[in-house]
Amino acid sequence: MVDEGTGLLAIGAGLAVGLAGIGAGLGEKDVGAAAVGAITEDMSLFGKCIVLIVLPETIVIFGLVIAFMILFTMS
Amino acid sequence: MLLPEPMSRIVIVGNKQRLDEATDALYSLKMIHLIDHTVGSDEGFSIGAPRPYSEKASERLLSLKAVEKELDINVTKESDEPMSSADVRNEISQNRVESIGKEVFEVLDRRSGIIQKITEESAKRDVYAAIASIPVDLDLYKGYRSIVVLVGSVKADPTAALSGLADSELFVSADKKMIALFVKTSEREEALRILTDYEYTDISVPEGTGPVGDAVAGINSKVAALSAEKEEADKELAALKEKHGDDIIALDEELSFEEMKGTMPLRIATSSHSFVIDAWVPTSKTGAVVSGMNERMDNNIYVEVMEDRSRSLHDVEHAEPRFKETPTKMNNGPFARHFEHPVKLLSSPKYQEIDPTLILSIFFPLFFGFMVGDIGYAIPFIILGAYGLKTAKNKDFRAIAMALFFGGIWTFIFGFFFYGEMFGMHFVGYATDNAETWMSLFGLHFPEWFVNIFPNHGHGISKVEDVTFLLKVSIYIGIIHIMLGYVIGFFNAKMQHGTKEAFFEKGGWIITFVGLVLFAWSMTEVMISGVSFGDMLPFILAAAAMMVAGIAISIKKEGGQAILEVPGLFGNILSYARLTAIGMSKAGMALAFNYISITMIAAGLGGIAGIIVGLLLFSFLHLVIWVLAILSAGLHSLRLQYVEMMSKFFVGGGKEYEPLEIKRKNTKIVETEV
Repeated sequence: MVDEGTGLLAIGAGLAVGLAGIGAGLGEKDVGAAAVGAITEDMSLFGKCIVLIVLPETIVIFGLVIAFMILFTMS
Repeated sequence: MLLPEPMSRIVIVGNKQRLDEATDALYSLKMIHLIDHTVGSDEGFSIGAPRPYSEKASERLLSLKAVEKELDINVTKESDEPMSSADVRNEISQNRVESIGKEVFEVLDRRSGIIQKITEESAKRDVYAAIASIPVDLDLYKGYRSIVVLVGSVKADPTAALSGLADSELFVSADKKMIALFVKTSEREEALRILTDYEYTDISVPEGTGPVGDAVAGINSKVAALSAEKEEADKELAALKEKHGDDIIALDEELSFEEMKGTMPLRIATSSHSFVIDAWVPTSKTGAVVSGMNERMDNNIYVEVMEDRSRSLHDVEHAEPRFKETPTKMNNGPFARHFEHPVKLLSSPKYQEIDPTLILSIFFPLFFGFMVGDIGYAIPFIILGAYGLKTAKNKDFRAIAMALFFGGIWTFIFGFFFYGEMFGMHFVGYATDNAETWMSLFGLHFPEWFVNIFPNHGHGISKVEDVTFLLKVSIYIGIIHIMLGYVIGFFNAKMQHGTKEAFFEKGGWIITFVGLVLFAWSMTEVMISGVSFGDMLPFILAAAAMMVAGIAISIKKEGGQAILEVPGLFGNILSYARLTAIGMSKAGMALAFNYISITMIAAGLGGIAGIIVGLLLFSFLHLVIWVLAILSAGLHSLRLQYVEMMSKFFVGGGKEYEPLEIKRKNTKIVETEV
């Protein structure tokens, strides 16, 4: 059995990644929909759209880094 | 290598009488990027008129396109047996296009006549079918002097309401929807008034004789005969497509070129007796262009190199509007060339900037390999990539195959020498509670030298356990990658505006970046590694000074918004943590999948069948990881190039170098031609 503190830290790490993931997903949802619309109009926008779609994704990485930092404090 | 090919602007002057020859010569050189003439840019010159033959060519092309549309011929496909262009041209001059058109449209006209007849007969039949259950012969519907016949649809049976009409006879169809009412001419108004309540709609009965049923049968046989005729015509069309299909494609191609050449004068300047062509050619090819043109035109042409365009934007500012933009001819080796496509997906580089293709061709597969890093996945990548490179013709597919091939090689290198694993299991090491190694699984004893290949005391780096180390490596890779982006940006600015401008434009950012990295490093030393703040203070102060100086320089150039970009820079560096994260997620999945399938096989449930199912499960689950690896590692690697690195220097929006040339797919030039 792990003690309560460690458990809470683990939950915190999970939340950091999970919530950041939800946030990035919400962001990408809107950009993605608009980008698909734009690409249907003009295929040459594909590259630029990719760049725009992946921009919110960095948020997850921030969550991940925070999660790692929490996990390091645990061990 | 890094820069697009240097370009020179040339001007070609010649006698208008020989414009056709000059056009052929220009096309055959395949190096001339034409600059469109703009009205009024040269006094005494105007835009030329299309060549006389181009009108006929466009007319023929138009009728050919109509035939293609009717016969459903796809002209974009590449022919297996190209025809000689001389033959095709010969056929054109012998009115081949017209004869094909005549042949095809004769059948088409016949066919549409048949279709129209079928439609007419079918409409007639529909009316007959509606009144079929009324026992009145067709010839009885017409030809009365004192009686009118009202035939039409109703919504309900009007028998009761019409019973008051004197000397009338009403027939109602079996489904009570159609009526035929015979009344005296004098009673017509009254009858119609009553029928209005029943939503009576008049229909006219087509002429005919005898019982309705017989007439319907007659029409049916007629329609059947017509349909057979139509099918016959369809067959004829298919036969025509078969017979002329390849010729039509070849004629289309030849005529398109003829039209293209014929309308070229619309893009150049002409006076009453001469023509002037402005064009870009690669600087290294100017000599070949001058001698090539003179040779082809028997020295009856004047070609002069006007300028060798430098990369400085100063030159652009002072150029005439139509000479401002220089086309970009990307200049990459046989391998890097395949990565031009992903760069063009974003945008073509400008003439005055470094082409990121080479950098992309190195880092894209490298990152891909770092993220996947597993021999088990690397080998299929290499095989698939090599196969794709050998067979694929489509540009997109070739680019993907190239990425897979080189990504696969890096995956192999990292998978073997860095991670030392295959299908998520290390080669060397002892089994733990939930992870096997190849050594423990088969009880292997590797020789000393083999074990020594792998880092980390022969185990290889674990994607799941050595996360701290991998994160550090990822961040360092990121720092180098971003720094490279800034350095390229600096060189771009230096080339375009000079060193001083470059210092303000990118130098400030380079100093800020170095300061930021130093700051982040010293802070992690204090906060995570536990070095005392006092020991780190000089570094922190130096970092802070660099950041302040760097931002101050950037503010001078870009204004206050430069401050807002600093946190984004921090985000850029952290973004490289995904190199570890993606690898870790793959390894985590592989760990779980191996646990499931190996436990299943080891438990020996169901004997041989259990082992087979276990192996199938193992293969399938790893296939899932493999496919996901292409998607996630590929996209994330590309994203790191596009967003984190290329945004530091790449502007893009360049115009591609498109020399006048004839790209033949379905016809070929015979040797005797120019």
